[in-house]
Amino acid sequence: MVRSALSSGRRIGQGPRVGASFLPAASVIAASLLAMLPIVSTSGWYPDFGFLVLIGWRLLRSDPWPAWWAAPLGLANDLIIGTPLGMSVVLWSATMVLLDLVDRRTMWRDYWIEWALAALLLLLGETFEYWVASLTGSAGPVAAILPPFLIAIFAFPMAAWLVARLDRWRLGR
Amino acid sequence: MAPPRPGWSRRAQYGLFFSFVAVIAGLIIGILLLGLSLLAPNSFQSVRGAAIDVTAPISWALNAVTSTAGGMISGAGNYWDAAHQNAGLKRERRKMLQRMIEAKAILQENRQLKAALQLRERSRTAVAAGRIVGSSLSSLRRFAVLSVGTGDGVQVGMPVRSPDGLIGRIIDAGRFGSRVLLISDRSNIVPARMLRTGQPVISQGRGDGTVDLRPLEVGRNPFRRGDIVISSGTGGLYPPLVPIARVIRLDDDGAIAVPLADPANTSFAVVEAPYEPAAQAAEPQPLAEAP
Repeated sequence: MVRSALSSGRRIGQGPRVGASFLPAASVIAASLLAMLPIVSTSGWYPDFGFLVLIGWRLLRSDPWPAWWAAPLGLANDLIIGTPLGMSVVLWSATMVLLDLVDRRTMWRDYWIEWALAALLLLLGETFEYWVASLTGSAGPVAAILPPFLIAIFAFPMAAWLVARLDRWRLGR
Repeated sequence: MAPPRPGWSRRAQYGLFFSFVAVIAGLIIGILLLGLSLLAPNSFQSVRGAAIDVTAPISWALNAVTSTAGGMISGAGNYWDAAHQNAGLKRERRKMLQRMIEAKAILQENRQLKAALQLRERSRTAVAAGRIVGSSLSSLRRFAVLSVGTGDGVQVGMPVRSPDGLIGRIIDAGRFGSRVLLISDRSNIVPARMLRTGQPVISQGRGDGTVDLRPLEVGRNPFRRGDIVISSGTGGLYPPLVPIARVIRLDDDGAIAVPLADPANTSFAVVEAPYEPAAQAAEPQPLAEAP
């Protein structure tokens, strides 16, 4: 960040884009909308794109949106991907609270800690989803959450990279 | 517990505090919503239907684009090696003609036998035909999105099939689109029977695109590789004699089978009226099935 501020090529008067404060939330909704791609998946191992981008933003900054926006964003995600209404609301709000707690406890942050945190949150999400699915009458072996969990872990760096690029773009850097 | 204080600005401090209170409120509202949608799955039907109405047309449009592009590629592939294909198709057609004549004879015989037995033939009514335009991508549940909705007469609980076999049943219906619970979902149990022996079996999804078959009678494993399973019509929701799946692997007391109707390759899916209308009213509630 410092280096990019010092380097030349930045024109005078260039600032945040219009609507920069809404872009993070909009990008989460856009990621949720990826579920509308005309892909018919038989296994359902795709990661939850909205959740990935949400974690990406929240780990990058502590203030991408007011914390409570997680609830309406989760509601939109539930409606779009068709999970029981309220599942993402709970999960995403809990993620915001949890990461606020983590922000107070961690002494330093680096890329590996962020990835580990993201993996923890993704595991939490998958377990929660498994629990809800078993309550709605489709209980299966717990091992069923393993493949989507691994795929989500390896999809996270891509989401984090995309979010970092978007953040720089929206702030006009 | 709220995030660190943002300097000395009172306004910023209060803003942060209130947003923290609000996220807790959001969490509680979410828990209430989730509880309600688990205990009373039908309570948000209209909201979910409206959401499908917004999203399904987009999937539909995207689907049209990709299938056109895919069709052009496979169409070009078909011209390659056309002579060989032509010869092969002619051979197949000759065989099929013989088969068809046999089938017609059997059909006629069947009709006479049924008439002799005075069996009441229920007419199967197709309510609507649509395209499968998408599916749940990131869920343990297996849903597909269908491009017809209540505007075409589709209602929650109706069975969906394709020319190849059974696909599932409608669980959410919007005006222009609906969501189908595929037979490969874990909560979808279909009463079935084996085509070879007529033995009653039960098909239950495994969540990964395959189904689990269990015989109703305990004993020797009746399945063989390649066995076809068809619906039996028991329970009245799914129509009888619809192909369901083909056995690919045996396990200790049952078998694992692949659905014959692959939702990814189905061009058209037909929504039918429930075989016995009473079955639609008595749609199994998710919580009642939970262990």
